[in-house]
Formats: sequence, structure tokens, C-alpha cells
Amino acid sequence: MAPGGAALVVDDEPQIRRVVANSLRGIVDRVLEASTGRAGIDLAAAERPVLIVLDLGLPDMDGMGVCTEIRSWSDAPIIVLSARHSDGEKVRLLDAGADDYITKPFSPAEFQARARAQLRRARGAVDSDDTPFTAGGLVVDVARRTVSRGGAPIHLTPTEWDLLRVFIRHAGRTLTHQQIIREVWRGGAGDAQSYLRVHIANLRRKIEGDPVRPRLIITEPSVGYRLEAPAD
Amino acid sequence: MVTGSRHPLTDPAEQPLRRPRAIATWLLIAAVATAGLWLLRGTLDKAHMALAFLLIVLGGSALHGRLLGLGLAGLCFIAFNYFLLSPYYTLHIADPLDWGVLVAFLITGAVAAQLLHRAQREARTARERAEEIDRLSVLGAETLNAGRAEDAVLPIARVIRTTLRVAVCEVWMREDSGRVKCLARDAAGHDGDAPPDEDLLISVINGGVVAVRGTGPAWTVTGDAPADLQAVLRRHRDVRGVVLPLTVRGRGLGVLRLESAEPLRFDPAAVRFTLALSYYAALGIERIQLAAEADRVHALQEADRLREALVAGVSHDLRTPLTTIKALAFELRDTGDDRATIIEEEADRLNALVADLLDISRLRAGALPVSPEIVAGEEVLASALQRVEGARGERAIRATLPPDGSIPVGRIDFSHTVRALVNLIENALKYSNPGSAVEVELTREKDHMVFSVLDRGPGVTADEARRIFEPFYRPGSLPPDAGRAGLGLAIALHLAEIQGGTVEYLPRPGGGSIFRLIVPAADVAHIS
Repeated sequence: MAPGGAALVVDDEPQIRRVVANSLRGIVDRVLEASTGRAGIDLAAAERPVLIVLDLGLPDMDGMGVCTEIRSWSDAPIIVLSARHSDGEKVRLLDAGADDYITKPFSPAEFQARARAQLRRARGAVDSDDTPFTAGGLVVDVARRTVSRGGAPIHLTPTEWDLLRVFIRHAGRTLTHQQIIREVWRGGAGDAQSYLRVHIANLRRKIEGDPVRPRLIITEPSVGYRLEAPAD
Repeated sequence: MVTGSRHPLTDPAEQPLRRPRAIATWLLIAAVATAGLWLLRGTLDKAHMALAFLLIVLGGSALHGRLLGLGLAGLCFIAFNYFLLSPYYTLHIADPLDWGVLVAFLITGAVAAQLLHRAQREARTARERAEEIDRLSVLGAETLNAGRAEDAVLPIARVIRTTLRVAVCEVWMREDSGRVKCLARDAAGHDGDAPPDEDLLISVINGGVVAVRGTGPAWTVTGDAPADLQAVLRRHRDVRGVVLPLTVRGRGLGVLRLESAEPLRFDPAAVRFTLALSYYAALGIERIQLAAEADRVHALQEADRLREALVAGVSHDLRTPLTTIKALAFELRDTGDDRATIIEEEADRLNALVADLLDISRLRAGALPVSPEIVAGEEVLASALQRVEGARGERAIRATLPPDGSIPVGRIDFSHTVRALVNLIENALKYSNPGSAVEVELTREKDHMVFSVLDRGPGVTADEARRIFEPFYRPGSLPPDAGRAGLGLAIALHLAEIQGGTVEYLPRPGGGSIFRLIVPAADVAHIS
């Protein structure tokens, strides 16, 4: 993957900025640093980074505010760094437009994987439904509504198909339960929503090689799900 | 300020004969009237004379009660007959019509005296009621306005003492510890010097019965409720001390103690008043207890808030340097230094240890919220396996789903269940032979979803089986550096219990252990 553009890291801890900047070397051209939310927003507006890494424990404003403000005029992926924040807070941030979160202490390898996935997703967003989604032997042709695994066709129920399509549309991005429910059921269906996890279990049985070791639909406990984007 | 009563609650002056001056006055009036009428007896009609006497009878009744009225009626009857009806100076009556006049006078006088008496009695009762209500409402306002709950009880004791005219009134409260403490005491002089002991007060509270003391210091617990106070005082002669239970909604909260230098004697109104005011005292005690409870809750909330702040602070402050350490180890590994792996592993272990300590403190404080949802068991299994991936190393973990292809579903808190299962798997990895596989089975058993973790470790002795779920317990046979702080099983059990489940240990046939995480199952209708 060719490097391109700048990344912005907003964190009041210089050590964390250093860790993030080092991890992003080779993934982006350069790394901008800001130690407050205000400075982060200004830098993001001036430099238009391709990736934003945002810490939740900023001294001047809360992560939620920074996230909402940047998201109102930028489509750049936002990865949130959290240390002490509750699952509820992570969910609210994802709902407010953050694309992924990673919990401290994280390893640079883990962070790099997330950052690459976000950049890939952001670049791929212009791709249309025409390109079939392929990963681990699974081929999904969204336009033709067909799914196959190792060449054998798979039959999905309408709900399972809707779920899979939403995941593919947002491949690599952590979706909260509410985001998934909103897109699949569009606010209707009442009780069906409480069975989201059961639908996911059914879908995994059909598309994963081993349902207890899923490689495609990854559970982010208490937050939501993420479809692993295929590696380059 | 509540003061003593203007009218004591004993029946006032049923006998006007006790007042000689009043009697003499009315006798004089009757005599003067008789003399006047005697002088005019030739010119006056008999009916007019009867009317004059009737006025005297009514006057006497109205001012001094029924007995004087009836007495005057009798006297006037005789005087009328003797002096004013012919033949004069005998009680003999010549004209039968005169008999009619006399009898009519007597009946009218008696009936009027009786009616007046009844009206007066009703008026007096009404006045007493009004005064009682006055006293209670003033007291009510005072107790409600008292700044501290304790301050509300003393005015009640004072009103009871002054109204009943006793020497001492005390209010005692039973505390949480079971001890009985004097909250308020209002005394005037005499004390009897015979305070009841704590056991007696407690048996009064527990039994809801009255205790009494005669002239001596010895107390007797009666079998009677406070409502029967009058009967108790009648039965026990010469009662100088009374202890009454104070109850609210059937709950015994304390006692009311009364002491008197004179023998105690209550009429029904006094009993009613005492019962009403003891209820006030009981409410006062309840208020004190509620205030103490509120203080305690407030203190607990404050402690909770502080602990949460500490938890958040500690986890944040520790995680930032751990991130840096892991990053440095990562860079070090690029230089080919294999110590980097150890640094990373130790950093992870430290992080897990901190997480364990924070969890156990939250669990013990009951501060961990539970949010149950419908979850497929295999998703829990998948997330748990994903989490132990790093700790697994070369070890094999075999996961088994129900052989019939069914998907067990539970109504559980997803994160808590995953964490409990992770702890059981980590425990199995830690305590079993590195060459052996750890097995995890998911099954549905009646109303429960069960995750069984099986290992081929040394197993647990019957004695240890009880203790392994205690925090910080480590089997004695283990090397000191094995694993974490011995919190894993304790946390797993807690996490299972707060969502209505449990963790049980079974010895595994053929050697090893089985830990079963049991959580509530759910039934979902067929969904598409």
C-alpha cells in the first residue's frame, strides 16, 4: 500500500503521540500532532488529514465534542483511543461518527492493522456495488444478491442478507448494535431487534468456516460488530 | 410553645353539692321567691307562681348542674304546696286541679334539668376534643418543623408529661445494634429511681405489651397491648411507672416511659391522648432512623463516587505508560532482541492484574451493572476464544457445540459472561499440563445454558474445591509465579451470580477438572 496524505493524532500525552506517530510511519506521509481538542480541530480543518487518531481524555473538551465537530465537515476516518471509558461511551462515539476505537494499552501492531483497515476502507468507499466482495473463500455479489463459499452457493434469509450487505457496505468499520439495527430494520420490526445476536449467530454458521472462531464478522464486546476487510 | 393543659382530663364537677356557697345562694333565692310569692298569693294565679319557681329550677340547673336543679325542683315543689296552695301550711291539697299544676311543675323542672345537663355535657366533650386537636396540631407542627429529627421528640415528651401530670416522661429508641437508647427526657422532680433494665425494654418492644411498676423498683411485663392501658392500671394496684411500646406499622421502634409520685390513673380520654402522642413519638423515632439511613446512603454514594474516580484514575494512569512500554518493546523486537516478547507479555499481565483488582472491588461493592440481552451461546464462546488467543500460545483449545446442530440461546449480560468464561479457560490453561488440550463445551440444560471447561490438570481436592472461588486463594501445590493474583475464579463466580447464574466445580473422570459456567437460557421462537 502506497503511503499518502497526513495523519493527525490528538492526545495530551506526548508518549502516546510518539507511539502513534511511530506506528503510522510507513502508512502515511507525515503525522501532525495536537495536544488539545481545539488545536486538533484547527489542524484537521487546515491540513485535511486522511486519518485522525483521537484520545478521549483531552484536557480542554470531551472526545465526543471533537468527534462530532470534525465529522460535520470531514469524512476522514476517526480512530478513538480510550483508556478508562465505558462501553456506553464508546458506543456513543461510534454513533457520533467515529469509525473505530482501540483500548489502551494497545500494541503498535494492533494499531497499525486498524489504521490500515480504516485507510483502505476510506479509499474503497468510492467503489460501487459492482465489485464482488471476497474474503476467505467467501464471494458476495451484492448486485446479483448471490453468496457462495468455496464455489458452493449459500442460501441466506432476507434478514441475514440485509445484515451481510450492511457489513459489506461498512467493511472494516465497527458498527454499533444501533447502527446495524437502524440500517437493517429501518426503525420497524420491534422484537426482531432483540434477536440481532441470534441472527448474527445464524449468519456466521453459514458464512464462517468455524462459527466459534469467526474470521469475517468480529464481535466487539458490548459495542457492536466489524466485518474484517479483505487483506490486500 | 406547648404548655400544660388548662383543663385536666378528669371529669370536672359532676357534683355541684360540693360547692356549699352555690347551694346556699340558690336556697336563699328560693326562700326569697317563696316569701315574695307568699305575700302576693292572693292576687297571683297558681300558674304564674309555678312559672316563677320553674325559672329558679332552670337557673340552678344551668349554672350548677343537674343535681342542684333536681334538688331545687323538689324544694320548690314542697314550698309551693306548703305555703302557696290552700289549705296553707299543710302538704294537703284541696283542689284536684292544683295537683295538676304541681305535678306539671315537677315534671317540667326535672326534664329541663336533665336536658340542660345533657347539653352541657356535650358542650364540654366538644371543648375537650377541640383542645386535644389543638394540642396535637401544635405538636404536629412543632415536630415537623424541628430541624434535627432528635429535636422533634423532646416536645412530645414534654406535652405528654404536662398533660398527664406525671413526674417523668422519657422516649427510648432501639438502635440498629439492638441497644436501647434514651432519646428525650422531660422530668419534674420525682424520678422514682427505678429505671427499667434494657432486657425489660426490649421485651416490651418485641412483645408490643405494657410493663408496669408498683411502689417498689420491680417491673412487671403484662400481656396487654397499650390500648388496654386503663384495664392494666385498674388491675395492678398503685402503679407508679409505666412503659409503653412505640410501634409504627407493626414495627417496634422504642418505648415510652412514664413515672409518677402518685398512683397513675387514666380515664379513657387520657388513654386516647397517650396512645395518640405515643404514635407521634414513634413517628419521631422513625424519622430519626430514616434520617440516619439517608446519611448512610449518602456516605455510601460518596464512597462509591470516590471509588469510581479512583478506579478511573488508576486505570487511566496505568494504561498510558503500559502503552508506551508495549510500543518500546515492539520497537526493540525489530532490532532482534527477543527479550521484547517478555516485556510485552509482562505488560499485558500487569494490565490484566489491574483489571482484575478493579473488577473485584466493583463486584464486591455491587457497583457493576448488569444488562441482559438475548445472546447465542456460540457468540460468547467465539469472543472468549478470541480473547484467550494471546494467552493460549501453542496450547490447543477444542470447542464443541451441541451435536444436534441447535443454537443454545441465553438471556445474559454478554460482556460479563465472556469475561467469566475467559477466566475459566485461562484458569484451565494455567493449571493443566502444557501438553494437554483444554476443552470447552456449550450445552443447553433445561432452563440453563452451560459452558463446561475441561482440563487434564491435577484437579482439586475436596477440601480445596470449596476455597478455590475465594479471592486471592491459590492452591498450595503451585509455583509462586504461576498466573495472576488468584482472582480469576472469584471474578467468574461473581459475574455469573449477578446475572442469576453460578460456577460449579466437578472432578473430571479420568483426572482433571470440569468448571461449569451456568447462566439463564432463553427460548426464542423461530426467527427468519
